[in-house]
Amino acid sequence: MIECPACKHQEFVGTVYCTECGSRLISVTPVPTLNIPRDRLDKEAMATKPAAPEGPELETGAILGLRVLATGDVISLIGRDNYTLGRSMEGQAILPDVDLRPYDAYDQGVSRIHTELRLLPQGVHVVDLDSANGTLVAGKRIEPQVPVPVRHGDIIQVGGMRLQMISRFRG
Amino acid sequence: MANEKDLYSLLGVPRNATPDDIRRAYREAALRLHPDRRDTHGQTQLFIETNQAYEILSDPHQRAEYDKRLEATESKQVETACFRTLVQQSRKSLLQMDEPQVHYVLLDINAVEDLPSLRPAINLGIVIDQSTSMRGPRLDQVRSATLAILKELRPEDSATIVSFSDRAQVVITPDQARDLAVARARLSLLQAGGGTEIGQGLEAGLSEVEKSFSRQGVNHLILLTDGRTYGDEDLCLSLADQASRQGIGINGVGIGADWSDRLLDDMATRTGGSVMFLDTPKAITGLLHGIFERLGSVVASRVRLEGAVAQQVDLRGGYKLLPEPMPMGDSLPMTLGHLPKNNRIRLLLEFVVHPLGEITQLVLAYLTIAGDVLGRGAEPSVLPIQITSTVSRQPDPDPPPMDIAAALNQIALYRMQDRARHEAELGQTTRAARRLENLATHLLAAGERELAKAALGEAERLNHTRRLSLEGEKVLKYGTRALLLLPPKAGLS
Repeated sequence: MIECPACKHQEFVGTVYCTECGSRLISVTPVPTLNIPRDRLDKEAMATKPAAPEGPELETGAILGLRVLATGDVISLIGRDNYTLGRSMEGQAILPDVDLRPYDAYDQGVSRIHTELRLLPQGVHVVDLDSANGTLVAGKRIEPQVPVPVRHGDIIQVGGMRLQMISRFRG
Repeated sequence: MANEKDLYSLLGVPRNATPDDIRRAYREAALRLHPDRRDTHGQTQLFIETNQAYEILSDPHQRAEYDKRLEATESKQVETACFRTLVQQSRKSLLQMDEPQVHYVLLDINAVEDLPSLRPAINLGIVIDQSTSMRGPRLDQVRSATLAILKELRPEDSATIVSFSDRAQVVITPDQARDLAVARARLSLLQAGGGTEIGQGLEAGLSEVEKSFSRQGVNHLILLTDGRTYGDEDLCLSLADQASRQGIGINGVGIGADWSDRLLDDMATRTGGSVMFLDTPKAITGLLHGIFERLGSVVASRVRLEGAVAQQVDLRGGYKLLPEPMPMGDSLPMTLGHLPKNNRIRLLLEFVVHPLGEITQLVLAYLTIAGDVLGRGAEPSVLPIQITSTVSRQPDPDPPPMDIAAALNQIALYRMQDRARHEAELGQTTRAARRLENLATHLLAAGERELAKAALGEAERLNHTRRLSLEGEKVLKYGTRALLLLPPKAGLS
């Protein structure tokens, strides 16, 4: 048996979508799993110069992360081709991939499922999932459900919380 | 050499069945089909065939001889078949392990390219609900939509209009349908009043369609209703089975919120048809026109999927994705209906494979696609297919093919809606409401904002009134079902 990561429901081996909550159990476009030492990622995050805008970011496997500006913490994003951002709550069945609850997400007006980061062949994109307080990229409010490209160093604001995109790729 | 019938499929046993299995299956079939129990002609014929099948398969020597002949027949059928198939599987190999596993198979059925492109003769019956609730715009729209279809008839076509309330009547015979003035006058006589007895209407409609039945054409019945039928569900289903045997497809069209969607679904599934939901009667004309157009582009009709799955395998469910989305249930044979030109029948099958011993290869199922290619004589075209997979100890690292992943994504949404409704009916409102909220999240992520809103609305409704709205049920069911048709979106989670 295999276990659904979202709702802990037991499924037969080979199941592609959880029959309980509908979450995908198998990644359709596998992203290589990389082990990156934490301090190295932090150092990269401190480099304020944005990466040169070049080439499709997924070609060699991107190194992705989000820095919470208020605390300086870096959340690394590894192993998937999309990440939902939001905050968890007691009894919530579908959890966001990136849980912003530890960073005071509720007070900052972050929706439970707020925004999605999508790794498309053209690069990393942000999609607002019809959140209550909206998403801003580099200070501009983005349309819900429309993917907007983001680069290294861009500030993504979910509700009142400011996150900095860290996106580097190996040459 | 004479064509061998598939006796295994007749008995419903896998080809690797042990003599014990064959004996058990034969006894079960004999009990079910014995002439002392039922004396309809078809049953007795089937009983005799079952006996002959058992005689051959129970004798090891005869069985071996028969297997050889069957193989020869099938390889000849593969060469001459008018169908082509493409089989995709969710994993390249099955896993050798001590617990059950799920395996998905996507089956695409096409017609071969070099078929003559003729428009087939259409033999259509339209069965109209004229119960009191149809009064007003609903019946007006149905009238004008029906008349629009009659205008499109070609000389080789045939159409009958039947109406029903508590009893049924033929409003327009095939002869009258050819004369538009008469047809218009007859349709204007159609007045709303009375109850809804679908069985009555269906019986009359089917017998009219049968009268003009054509093996070289498409035979089809459209049932328009806006109400619930009470007490004659069994009659409706046995009529649907009868239609399926004769090769008449049934399309259900439900208008408004209060009609028996489950009954219509069941009837359509049995005949290879589909069901559509209209929240407003305005769309009827376009919808009927669409159905009529599609009937005109059919190249093969009465397409069926027959056969049996291996002993270690269970068929857990089937979904038809193309040409029209429809859940197909979990038993063989399946009636797939009409195959349109330049399109295909796409079917997703979900198998549960029980623990496998030390084998390196498994034939999951021996299937046969049978159907009448229109304009190609009286013999049905048959294509046998084997679904085979290797068995290995190493899991397949590759993700399932794009087509399967996309289809399963949509099916997952459809199933959540189905389960939520089931739970709501059992009184598990909290679970159902939470499931609908989940569904809404997934729908939102897929960009289906209207459907997501409907799901959230129903979840809220459940928390307040402890039940779903009749309309919401149908919006969600047919809304998520329609998603099965959509191509996968880029970057979809």
